[in-house]
Amino acid sequence: MKKLIWSLAVCLTAVSPAAAQELAGRYWVYVANESSDLISRVRLDRNGLVEESTIPVGIMPADLDGAHGLTVSPDGRHWYVSLAHGTPYGRIWKFTTGSDRLADTATVGLFPASMAVTPDGSMLFAVNFNLHGDAVPSTVSVLFTPTMQEVTQIKTCVKPHGSRINTSGTAHYSVCVGSDQLVEISTRSLQVARILDLTPGNERVLASPAPAPVPGAERCGPTWVVPSPDDRFLYVPCNQRGLILEISATSLAVTRRFATGKGPYNADVSPDGAWLVVTLKGDQGVAIVDLRTGTETRVATTQPVTHGVVITPDSRYAFVSNEAIGATRGTVDVIDLVHKRRVASVAVQHQPGGIGFWKMDPATR
Amino acid sequence: MARRAPLGAVLLAVLTLGPPALEAQIPQGSSAELTAGLRVRGARLTPDPLALVRGDTVLLTIALTDREGARVRGARFAISWGSDVFNAKSIKDSVPDSYLIVGTRPGEAPFQILVQVPNDSGGFRWNPIGTATVQVDDWPLASVEIHEPRYAPYAGTTFRMTATPMTNRETEHALASIQWRSETPTVALVTPTGVVTISRPGTATLVATADDRVAARHTFQALPNPVQQLVITPRATTARTGDVVRFDVAALDRSGQRVRDLALSYAAHGLDSAGADMYEDGAFVAENPGAYKVVATAGQLGAEAVVEVIPRVKATPVELVARAGPPDVATSDLWVFEGKDGRDYAYTGTHAQGGGQRMYVWDVTEPSDIVLVDSVLVDARVVNDVKVNGDASWAIITREGASTRRNGIVVLDLTDPAHPDIIAELTDSLTAGIHNVWINGDVVYAVNDGTNAMNILDLSDPTNPRHAGRWEIRPGEENKSLHDVWADGRYAYLSYWDDGLVILDIGAGTHGGTPTAPAFVSSIAYGMGNTHTAYREGNYVFVGDEIFGCDKCVNGPRGYIHVMDVSDLDAPREVARFEVPEAGAHNIWVENGLLYIAYYQGGLRIVDVTGELRGDLYAQGRQIGWYHTAAPRDVLQPNAPLAWGPQPFKGNIFVSDMNSGLWVLHHERSERLSP
Repeated sequence: MKKLIWSLAVCLTAVSPAAAQELAGRYWVYVANESSDLISRVRLDRNGLVEESTIPVGIMPADLDGAHGLTVSPDGRHWYVSLAHGTPYGRIWKFTTGSDRLADTATVGLFPASMAVTPDGSMLFAVNFNLHGDAVPSTVSVLFTPTMQEVTQIKTCVKPHGSRINTSGTAHYSVCVGSDQLVEISTRSLQVARILDLTPGNERVLASPAPAPVPGAERCGPTWVVPSPDDRFLYVPCNQRGLILEISATSLAVTRRFATGKGPYNADVSPDGAWLVVTLKGDQGVAIVDLRTGTETRVATTQPVTHGVVITPDSRYAFVSNEAIGATRGTVDVIDLVHKRRVASVAVQHQPGGIGFWKMDPATR
Repeated sequence: MARRAPLGAVLLAVLTLGPPALEAQIPQGSSAELTAGLRVRGARLTPDPLALVRGDTVLLTIALTDREGARVRGARFAISWGSDVFNAKSIKDSVPDSYLIVGTRPGEAPFQILVQVPNDSGGFRWNPIGTATVQVDDWPLASVEIHEPRYAPYAGTTFRMTATPMTNRETEHALASIQWRSETPTVALVTPTGVVTISRPGTATLVATADDRVAARHTFQALPNPVQQLVITPRATTARTGDVVRFDVAALDRSGQRVRDLALSYAAHGLDSAGADMYEDGAFVAENPGAYKVVATAGQLGAEAVVEVIPRVKATPVELVARAGPPDVATSDLWVFEGKDGRDYAYTGTHAQGGGQRMYVWDVTEPSDIVLVDSVLVDARVVNDVKVNGDASWAIITREGASTRRNGIVVLDLTDPAHPDIIAELTDSLTAGIHNVWINGDVVYAVNDGTNAMNILDLSDPTNPRHAGRWEIRPGEENKSLHDVWADGRYAYLSYWDDGLVILDIGAGTHGGTPTAPAFVSSIAYGMGNTHTAYREGNYVFVGDEIFGCDKCVNGPRGYIHVMDVSDLDAPREVARFEVPEAGAHNIWVENGLLYIAYYQGGLRIVDVTGELRGDLYAQGRQIGWYHTAAPRDVLQPNAPLAWGPQPFKGNIFVSDMNSGLWVLHHERSERLSP
């Protein structure tokens, strides 16, 4: 039974010899497998990419708890997973990294999805995606992590998704899949600070949240937002238009648009600010955008429905989760950002999605 | 997992300890602020005590103090709470050290005060320095409503009075409690909770006081007791454990006429052993065999009857007929039916473990030799439910975990039931997935995982399923969870988790409902919530819980079957229960007086539910058979039953088990009673 599984996985793929030579250390990520209610801890080293262990989450034996989003605290001591399903509310579970021992839980809103932790580690923001509910505004939950208490729910928009906090810790960003907006929340006041309407070609700052677009309207379909490491820009995939918007974090003006493949979904920016990596849910691949030139390099992934991405602190590798379809196990691919190629892959569990970087060893190179 | 306050708070608390939650993100303070935090040992609150009325707002100011009680300024602090009794908003930016406290519902809840202090790595940690309590009162108590008693106040009789405290907004007061007293104790004595005993004829006045503040009086004329004789006659002098025995009690006056509105008291005494329940309405039911004396009294008068209780028929073995895999994927729900080709089939769904993307087709015409003949592959990771319509011409399977995240239902054509064809799907507005469905003619009632509403689908053309209606409790509110629906053509029974059982008129004509526009009839909830499934037979609805993560859940889920008497559909009431102590109930089926329960780790349970039901059916020995649905090999988990759903069919009992697949079992009672 899934709740009893705590196994060392046997799946291991070799890193190509050339890539192995360049691998000076080891890297670990956690991945949430949504249709297994298992979290995979995955390690990359010279010997290859391995699913080190699987950690069961959830309490419902006959229902999926829906492990969806995953994030690791900035100090690397804890990881958090959102369990999207509930009766009706979802939950955030907090674990200690390494031991993978459950530390605490909290109830939040409907279908919690992506999360972000403030740089000081004290607060966690989780978007209550309410993916399948009626098209009414939902909220962003704010948790005080030492006690995992929900401090507040901030009402934002229809289907909020893509929770990220800027480097300085002053602002939380999310987008509205159902109402085409970018929402900035002040992490100090815990109130909505600014809203950007993402209607294609007519992006503008709004005075208040807008309702869901009428059916058939031209839509961006934003699914994610990620700030640049210097907090100057925000990058938003327009999932329905095959487009990435670069937005000034100061003015919220669109500064550049990058065309990508089908269904850009999640994104991450390398810590050195050089690369934007975007998962292409509709194209089974990732787009690596050179942020200096705006040019894109496409790398194919090993399974369809490419979902999450996280880049290592040394800006060298992107770890990518691929959901796959049905009973086929999903995979984690490692993309070498220097050589723009996939260097390792490993099968994990069913429907891997949310992915968070834990640590690298040695910590700095 | 339960949350606990930091231990430090216990040592340092100046008030009482409670569960914490922080009111806002507080960035790390300056070095001076953190240093100031080290001096803090307590706090003074203004106001203290902190009490307010539901809906009101109070300004709370917190002054931090040191060991000597002197004010400490400049420390950075926050408050933390974990209750919905109140809400708090920091206004420290405009009013120093202050919060707005809003009372959201009546009750009492603590909050904790935490101060930032330096940690070892140059950062900070939150140091708990004490807790305080917020008391939220209901709206002002305005009146007490005394309810008219059901019995005439004859001398010597005892009965219960009831009253309700009311607010000035004409709602029942949530916190006030009623205390009774008698102003005429020589005529009528009353206990503080309202049990009144009439001592002698005369004018009596009883007073119901709410919280010592608001009172109401009930003055009445206590009457001479006209009863000269009590005669009690059991309707059965011999009964089995679990049989409800009723008594005819005749209270006769001097002229031999019956006195109708007399309050009677009952008691049962075991002559051989203890173990019987005697209810206020005169129902007697024993859990243990033996002779019992039942006594009815009214004042000084009494009458006795003896009931001999014998054991119920012993449980008899449930025999294995056959079992079939699949060994590599978890099995979910099942449906067994006779196909249009005259052969018998079982369809089983599959669950996430191992990849729930198929519905399996089993030919079970020869139950001892079940044959896997086909499977239907869909884009899913859970095929949760399988249902076949009345004439076995089409079926529905439900999906969750589709790669497109558009789940909904899939419709199968059963022209060739051994090889069903996908003919349609409906995902619009059903993207979350449908946890359960129930088919009623051409109408399908579907549990929408996303909205927690019941979607009503028209399948008069199964190749073109379309939406025909929607029903939900508390439209517009999100805090609800629908799990299952069962219908009998007249009424639908919705299992609405913490809102309990909800009954709808879907064409009975009693409350104006139609199949596609249901009308609410009634509902009944109970403390533990988690209402998971329901099934009606006769005047009873059998309602199952599904409970995870509880204190008793050390070996898996818990939950049991509540028996609701719906002889008055407008006022359902719980009268009995069936609870296996060591396991948790899942899906059920009731047919011909037998309740079949897939009891998760408890396997299959068969319960005799014939006759009137009261009390603890398990303790009464009504379980007539059980089977441990576990197998040692060729299963997902060996020797570990996890029974999902039962269905009696043509003399056998089919059971799906998540770990071990499809079982065909046989029990002598099922053979006798099944069609």
